[in-house]
Amino acid sequence: MIRFEPDRSQYPQPGDDGKIEIDLETGKYLKLWHGPNHPGITGNMSVELTLCGDEVVEGKTHVGYLHRGFEKLMERRTFIQVFPIVCRVCVPEPDFNEWCYAQAVEELAGIEAPEMAQWIRTLILEMGRFNSYMMAMGGIGGALGMGVIGQWMTYVRDLMLDRFEEMTGARIYHMFILPGGVRGHLPEGFSERMEEVLQTAERYLADVDKAMFTNAVFKARTKGVGVIDPALFEPYGVTGPNARAGGVAKDLRKDAPYLVYDQLEFEVVTETASDIWARARVRRRDIDVSIALIRQILAKMPKEGPVMAKLPNVLHWKIPRGETYVAGESSRGEYGYYLVTDGSGYPRRVNVRGPSYTHAMALLEHLIPGTNIADVAALMVSLHTYPPEIER
Amino acid sequence: MMRDLHDHLKTRYRLGDLAERRGNLAFVDVERADLRALLVELRDVHGFTHLSLLTAVDWIEEGRFQLTYLMNNRAANRTLGLRVFLDRADPVGDTIHDLWPTAATYQRELREMFGIAFPGSPRVDEEFILEGWTDMPPYRRDFDTLAYSQQTFSDREGRETHDPRSHMAKKLYPEGQR
Amino acid sequence: MGSLRDVLSPFTAWKHVIETPVTIRNPIGREAADGYRGFHQNDIEKCIGCGSCEVICQNAAIDMVPVSDPVDGDSGLRPKIDYGRCCWCALCVDVCMTGSLTMSNEYTWVDTDPDAFRFIPGVDPKPWDDLEKGYRREGGRVLTGAERVEMGELAPEARIDNFDEIVAGYTREQAMIEADRCVECGLCVATCPAHMDIPDYIAAIREGDYDLGLQILYETNPFSEVCGRVCTHKCETACAARHEGDPIAIRWLKRHIVDNVSEDRRLEIVGTPQTLPTRRKVAIVGAGPAGLTAAYDLARQGHAVTVYEAQDKPGGMMRFGIPEYRLPYAALDRDIAVIAAQGVKIETGVRIGHEITMDRLRAENDAVVLSIGLHIGRSTRIPGTEGGGVETAIDLLRRITAGEEVPVPKQVLVIGGGNVAMDIARSMARLQKVKHGAVGVTVTALEDFAHFLADREEIEESLEEGVEIIDARGPQEVVRFKSGNRKGEVKGLRSWAVTSIFDDKGRFAPQYDQGDERLHPAEMVVEAIGQAADVSILGEDLTEALDWNRGRLAVDVAGRTSEPWLWAAGDAVHGPDVITAVADGHRVAASVGAMLMAMGEVAR
Repeated sequence: MIRFEPDRSQYPQPGDDGKIEIDLETGKYLKLWHGPNHPGITGNMSVELTLCGDEVVEGKTHVGYLHRGFEKLMERRTFIQVFPIVCRVCVPEPDFNEWCYAQAVEELAGIEAPEMAQWIRTLILEMGRFNSYMMAMGGIGGALGMGVIGQWMTYVRDLMLDRFEEMTGARIYHMFILPGGVRGHLPEGFSERMEEVLQTAERYLADVDKAMFTNAVFKARTKGVGVIDPALFEPYGVTGPNARAGGVAKDLRKDAPYLVYDQLEFEVVTETASDIWARARVRRRDIDVSIALIRQILAKMPKEGPVMAKLPNVLHWKIPRGETYVAGESSRGEYGYYLVTDGSGYPRRVNVRGPSYTHAMALLEHLIPGTNIADVAALMVSLHTYPPEIER
Repeated sequence: MMRDLHDHLKTRYRLGDLAERRGNLAFVDVERADLRALLVELRDVHGFTHLSLLTAVDWIEEGRFQLTYLMNNRAANRTLGLRVFLDRADPVGDTIHDLWPTAATYQRELREMFGIAFPGSPRVDEEFILEGWTDMPPYRRDFDTLAYSQQTFSDREGRETHDPRSHMAKKLYPEGQR
Repeated sequence: MGSLRDVLSPFTAWKHVIETPVTIRNPIGREAADGYRGFHQNDIEKCIGCGSCEVICQNAAIDMVPVSDPVDGDSGLRPKIDYGRCCWCALCVDVCMTGSLTMSNEYTWVDTDPDAFRFIPGVDPKPWDDLEKGYRREGGRVLTGAERVEMGELAPEARIDNFDEIVAGYTREQAMIEADRCVECGLCVATCPAHMDIPDYIAAIREGDYDLGLQILYETNPFSEVCGRVCTHKCETACAARHEGDPIAIRWLKRHIVDNVSEDRRLEIVGTPQTLPTRRKVAIVGAGPAGLTAAYDLARQGHAVTVYEAQDKPGGMMRFGIPEYRLPYAALDRDIAVIAAQGVKIETGVRIGHEITMDRLRAENDAVVLSIGLHIGRSTRIPGTEGGGVETAIDLLRRITAGEEVPVPKQVLVIGGGNVAMDIARSMARLQKVKHGAVGVTVTALEDFAHFLADREEIEESLEEGVEIIDARGPQEVVRFKSGNRKGEVKGLRSWAVTSIFDDKGRFAPQYDQGDERLHPAEMVVEAIGQAADVSILGEDLTEALDWNRGRLAVDVAGRTSEPWLWAAGDAVHGPDVITAVADGHRVAASVGAMLMAMGEVAR
């Protein structure tokens, strides 16, 4: 296969401070706004690209198109009133917000959710992870011109949304993990219907393996492209599959087991190349882990038991002064809530730590110079970022 | 284990009492002047290599901002929250972007949302999320979101509600017979 | 790079070309899952308009709008939902105090008029109103506490041989938990005769601010210590929490506030009248709750108030009717002390018509308030009630309080099913226990247990104490020994079974099954079937001059009689309990105060 190598003699050279002096007047450069509405952009953000030829010399991430001031809104709501809005911080994987918030509130209020609730929460988080990966798979396919992958994944995700719908009463914003537990038990026959979904998913994923991962074009476009040096992981706060694709076997489900993960068996998936291919492979293999976990949870979870702990009257619920940080391994990496309370009926401060905050900002801006314009979408999507986590 | 670390560090840094939240999470007050050296030591000696987050809390009643640096040692599953307090009247923090480049993003956000300065932090004064914002930094406690939305947006016509208690009083004992 | 396989494999995707599309052809009309959170339904009969749904809604999507007239325990308001704001979180359903608010699984609805999406579920008819499917919260109401904190009480064996107070009162921890359950809807306020600011003083408990709590109590009720113990707590029947759990223990919480403020502190908080003396004089006849409340209000307005009381201690029925185990005299004295501290003069042992006449009161005062209560026990007048061994409950209770010797035979029969019947039965039981070591009290009531007049807890506690209660019995004759050395003494009560109490028109006309006759042996019969006011004190001329209504003094809404200088308040005109008397006292005081104020204006 022939890789196109541009003539770099025309390209700007970095100055003494390592920065490139970009003078748009010279006519050598082109400004290109990649997003906020672009099929290769995950959600409402944009990257302001400066191109020289077809190579990017500078990229700046712009966010704020979907800023709703959630953290501030939470300060103006009672502890129970925060519950319906946290999920909106992240559309494709909203459940982490619900769980982190509920867990943080429970910790500061000294409440423990019953065991049954812990299992159902774990199930929800894995279902959410599965769905999030469906979008990631579809996204990476779409970014490289394989729209059909996106269609298949959307279909499978829709089937999982049906399971969410019957379990929680809603498809996207489930609003099911209340502080103190969860809102209900699994419906009758849920496991059987879930098994059907998982088997359909496996059929489609086998097709994805054939169409995308056994595909000369896909390999050519992703192998050796968008490599993140593992030395950058700590300085740039890289977590989750992005780090695991670089051989770092870090997974909060194992490293700091929460909910019932210490009672479940699963492997931490890693790859070594740290390129777009490796990141896509980690996600693809993690889907299998998620599927296995969902089966395991349904088999191991208790058949009955209360799902809610006793709560104080939520209409005037006050929580003593304190602060905590609750984090879990989302499909994109470390997802956490930092909650500060001041003894009143309202949170003093809620800070949402979404993995995209580091991945789409400092990391992306660091990676993007030198990328061919045709690879920008693939690079971005391979980082699997959701802009609302950044701007909240 | 957090306590051992605290005892160890306490001899050389001015630290507050250790506030243990869970076995693997604790918070401690740090003098601003000690922050950088402490962060470096935590990172290079004690394995706290991961900056989970950097954010601020507005204690308006106390006239100060709290900066929270959540440092994580993944291998040992420990998180230490360092709390640095800044004068709310003139809030200036110290940039750590050279230790964690990603901190520049946090600092840029804190500049925009809380009005905390971080001299030397790259692009710290560039707009981050808010475009053309002229009001006070909105995450400060004294920024009133309700007042802002009432000024900015209009209420839907025809909405009127009744408090059950005063409604019943009006209907059943209007003369305030009591 | 790349193998032939990598080139050919992607073409396998073409197999999907021959598959049936998975897309739903017409998504409008697709039925949602059984538990889907769709458009709201509200069972309008069940809903009480407490507004908890509005309070919890973080989107301000709910307005409470009037759809019917308010009644006890129902504001007549119903939630109107703005679906432009609703986020379908269903917290309104979870918090609903009655379970009336639910969500159907209907979620598709298209309309070009945005205002169509603002409606009152259950009132504005919608196609999904009767859908069975939709979001139903699992396991009942969990967002606000459903169960009342149990009150500590003396065990029956520990209380039966004494008149010690039974109820322990809440500890701070208990009160905090109980106060936490209140959702502050305020439905109770309208039901309380004195319209006490119940949610506010409960909030004060949550804040631990007992001074504030006491201040709030005194704004509407100078007898909070008394009411905290013996109030009939109608408020609790209007409590939103009662629909899916126990009502808030409003009465006990009121008592808890007073328990936590010392007597001295109470005087400090309530203070003394802050106005200059008006030099207007008011006489109040009868130092019961109505008279003393009126006295309190009028004194605080700066008027000179004298209360005349026939008994040698103030308190009226609170002291002489309610047994000490329910209301210790010291508690009553503390309430009265605050009233007296307002400069109210209380002249005890002064009977109108004896030591002083109504004419003199009229001559020496600008206004007179009559609050004489109901102190004459009514009799069934069945054969045999004339003569020894038959007492009225109210008289016995008074004598017990006054420390007089009362007959305590081994077997006592009480006629009546109200709270007074329970009071005398339980008082007699205590005296019997002390004297004879055993309880021998039988209560016969006209009503069956389902329609009993006495409070449920009174009945339960009576039974615990060994009192026998026989329902649906109509007294026919007090049977006396006809011969022997006990000739003339009471042998027992003959009764018939009751088949109905009221006739078709709702008039009192008991019907009996004469075949079901019983003789209840007893050495003494106590009648507790009601009381009357002693209006003989008015004197003939005044009685003649006043308007009457079925034997009761006729008064207007403000309590004023047909004589412009005379008001009447309390049980004698309204009944039937302390809190109603307090409310009456306030009402009369306001009317008297307005009149005195008008007089002042004229004089100036």
